[in-house]
Amino acid sequence: MSLRSAAAHRNLLYLLSLRELRTRYKRSLLGWAWSLLNPLVQLGIFSVIFLYVFEQNPPVGDPSGLQSFALYFLVGFIPFNFFSISIGASIGAVQGGASLIKKVAFPHEHLVLSVIAAQFVTLMIELAVVVVALLIAGNMVLPWLPVVFLVLVLLAIFSTGVALLLAAGNAFFNDVSYLWTIASQLLFYSTPIIWNPETVGNPVLTQVASWGPTGAFVMALQELLYDLQMPSALRLLQLAVYAGVSFAFGAWAFNKLSPRFAEEL
Amino acid sequence: MSTVQHPVEVDHVTKTFRRHHDRATSLKQFVAGGRRRTYDEFVALDDVSFNVRRGEVFGVVGHNGSGKSTMLKIMAGILHPNKGEVRVHERMSALLELGAGFHPELSGRENVFLNAALLGMTRKEITARYDEIVDFSGLDDDFLDTPVKTYSSGMYVRLAFSIAINVEPELLIIDEILAVGDIDFQRKCTERFLEFRNAGRTTVLVTHDMNSVRTMCDRAVWLDHGKLRGTGEPGEIVDGYTESMTGSTDRVAKLGSYREGSGELQFTAARMLVDGEPRRSLRTGDDLVLELELTATSPIDDPAVSVTVMTASGLMLSEPCTRDADIVLGRVDDRRALTVRLPDLALLPGEYQVHCTVSDARRHHIFDRVHSAVTFDVMAGTPLEQFGTVSLRPQWTVE
Ligand SMILES: Nc1ncnc2c1ncn2[C@@H]1O[C@H](COP(=O)(O)OP(=O)(O)O)[C@@H](O)[C@H]1O
Ligand SMILES: [Mg+2]
Repeated sequence: MSLRSAAAHRNLLYLLSLRELRTRYKRSLLGWAWSLLNPLVQLGIFSVIFLYVFEQNPPVGDPSGLQSFALYFLVGFIPFNFFSISIGASIGAVQGGASLIKKVAFPHEHLVLSVIAAQFVTLMIELAVVVVALLIAGNMVLPWLPVVFLVLVLLAIFSTGVALLLAAGNAFFNDVSYLWTIASQLLFYSTPIIWNPETVGNPVLTQVASWGPTGAFVMALQELLYDLQMPSALRLLQLAVYAGVSFAFGAWAFNKLSPRFAEEL
Repeated sequence: MSTVQHPVEVDHVTKTFRRHHDRATSLKQFVAGGRRRTYDEFVALDDVSFNVRRGEVFGVVGHNGSGKSTMLKIMAGILHPNKGEVRVHERMSALLELGAGFHPELSGRENVFLNAALLGMTRKEITARYDEIVDFSGLDDDFLDTPVKTYSSGMYVRLAFSIAINVEPELLIIDEILAVGDIDFQRKCTERFLEFRNAGRTTVLVTHDMNSVRTMCDRAVWLDHGKLRGTGEPGEIVDGYTESMTGSTDRVAKLGSYREGSGELQFTAARMLVDGEPRRSLRTGDDLVLELELTATSPIDDPAVSVTVMTASGLMLSEPCTRDADIVLGRVDDRRALTVRLPDLALLPGEYQVHCTVSDARRHHIFDRVHSAVTFDVMAGTPLEQFGTVSLRPQWTVE
């Protein structure tokens, strides 16, 4: 990714992001409200399963004392959803950008970066809603928000790396998008969103959750927003390393492959 | 030592494409494939070198598939050569295909901003030129607020061209786009070209209209199957090129096209005749005759022959087949010539290609299929229609 060409085209990045947001929300006045519908439906489904089918007690926040499955779920689901949709939409953006790529020379990474930027805006809106809900439930999350933001930025960098890698791979092998759908399901269930490592108490699952790429981010956010507790320095370091490695590798692969997009897509 | 820097320097450029046998490129193939190659290397440009000088209109001519668009795409930085390099020393704006980079859901206005941004302009620059762009395109204000998916192709081109020329490039690269707009707009574009040239700016132009090459270009190159056949004065280049077209006998083998099949029967000649003469171009309404020759390496009973007429971009238009017409070829054990006549051609101006296929009677097993065995251009004839691919023979009545 040549930084110079990316900078020269920053206006393009802005317009593409705007296009992402606009084409999604243009069709209805309630567009922005629709973006909240998906998490709410998921919330409904999993609440029923968790609370009534399996009759589990909601996890207890430590030290916050908060006990609400809905809030526990949303705190984990929203960042995961950001990650998962960003990747899927990035793969689609490069594939759907074929006609553009074949006709105009421009930094192809902007197709991916604009998706991430637009999804990040959506994430912020969803986060604002969850924060209000947390405040109403008595969790004083405001002092933790700067760290939450830092973690989300690291998550965005991490997601960008994965998105660059898979979007480039998919230009050559269409199967990548199918494989991603499966992988994203696996990631969802291996991430502690609808389950809690402490309640489950299985040491293997706890390790999977803690070292799994999305699990690490989600657990840090649960500590901050649900438990009201600072994640360990080691955890933050882990997230920074995940973000750095993913981005470096993704950008490298994308740079290597993108010159051939115009003829392969 | 000369230190003149040309706006475009094409230096020993070779470009190959992979043609995948199996369109479904899958990860499984990649992993399991190992040494097995599932693609052919196809040389689209073969060691091509030339310079474009400052302030000239530079034409690129050649038959369909000779590599003109590939050359322009490399200049524009969309494709990258396998060997050699193209150096572009000027701020460039390229107009390669209809509606380059337009997003159908967005309005004309939004697309102007998006397109200009794709060409590398800042927000401020675009805002400053916005009025000029709209003015030149001649589109109504109402239209600019509707999604471009409602535009006609003429409106597309006008807006696209208007953006490309108004971003103040020093170098303009255009691939066969001007043929689309209406006469008025074409005149406006030609004027703009001349202004452009008088201001010392450079244009590289691909066109099928040999007249505009003669009248507008200062120099031209001729590409033939990816090889450079000549660079120089446009009159000479056009003469050479036209001569080679009409004189060609179009032996299939010589075309070196991409072909597939088991080979018991093979096409050994395929050519297009108009009024009994071998030709590479004709007009809407002409009678097109395809003359084919089959040669058997082992005897085959009742083969079926079909010709697939396609647009240059690969859209299949029609596939007449001997089976559908109940023509029985009998046993073919040596040579067999056949012709198919397509009277009163309904195709509108553009580039077309014909694939020839010979298969068993049930059309399951392919003996030979020659891709792009014949390529031809259709020029405006009767009926005259500006847009589209085929004429549906409209008959208007007005009350
Ligand atoms: N992306 C691609 N993959 C494979 N072959 C291609 C690709 N693009 C062009 N070609 C082939 O390269 C040759 C040259 O194409 P092109 O440059 O479009 O020719 P022209 O513009 O002179 O008609 C053609 O045979 C075409 O089929
Ligand atoms: Mg072309």
